[in-house]
Amino acid sequence: MERTVLDEVARRGYTESCTFAIRLALEEALNNAINHGNRRDPASKVSIAYDVNDRFVALTVGDEGAGFNPSSVPDPTVDENLEKPCGRGIMLMRAYMDEVRFSDKGTQVHMIKHNR
Amino acid sequence: MMQTPDRLLQLDVQEGGAYAVVQIQGSVSMSQADELRARLEELAGRKTPVMVLDLAEMDFICSAGLGAIISAYLKSRHHNGQVRLVRPQPAVRRLLETTRLTKLFPLHSSVEQAVNA
Repeated sequence: MERTVLDEVARRGYTESCTFAIRLALEEALNNAINHGNRRDPASKVSIAYDVNDRFVALTVGDEGAGFNPSSVPDPTVDENLEKPCGRGIMLMRAYMDEVRFSDKGTQVHMIKHNR
Repeated sequence: MMQTPDRLLQLDVQEGGAYAVVQIQGSVSMSQADELRARLEELAGRKTPVMVLDLAEMDFICSAGLGAIISAYLKSRHHNGQVRLVRPQPAVRRLLETTRLTKLFPLHSSVEQAVNA
């Protein structure tokens, strides 16, 4: 599915930096859904919905976990957290995408990147 | 030119006594991060004093890949070893700056410079 989205992004001629951003955000959202949301439970599913058109890319990634509060995630860019191997996914989604919204429970993230 | 998703990860390690140069080619996404972590931690476990990671041919890395580099850095620190990064592509350089990991890993313009830093 990830490859399908990226192939469509490439086909529509998005810039290299847009493509990198979309790939990174999708990777981070999937990583969070599989490892943190579903806690690597193979019985739990991850859902991906996407809309790729000439103006924007919209991505929604969901998991079947208990949810979380995105605002409770520590800032990975402050000095005391720089050496932590994990915890950068949400910050990167926010840094690279134009819009990032989590559902109330935190089990779904919706992201948009405009083509420019 | 558009980047090619899923370009295979290739690691080429050259050891020179006091240092090891690891050329990382391709992409480090979630599915490749464990392989990168294992190789780098193996080098760190051998108490290699300086690990130079040549990123010139690495076109993508996600946070799990960054975590692999940080894990090697933490393991190296047990023996006062160092991890140095060389020649990241512009998108990867921006990622390192966005995450502020350039504070842990100053960027070098050549392998020679990194080895002799």
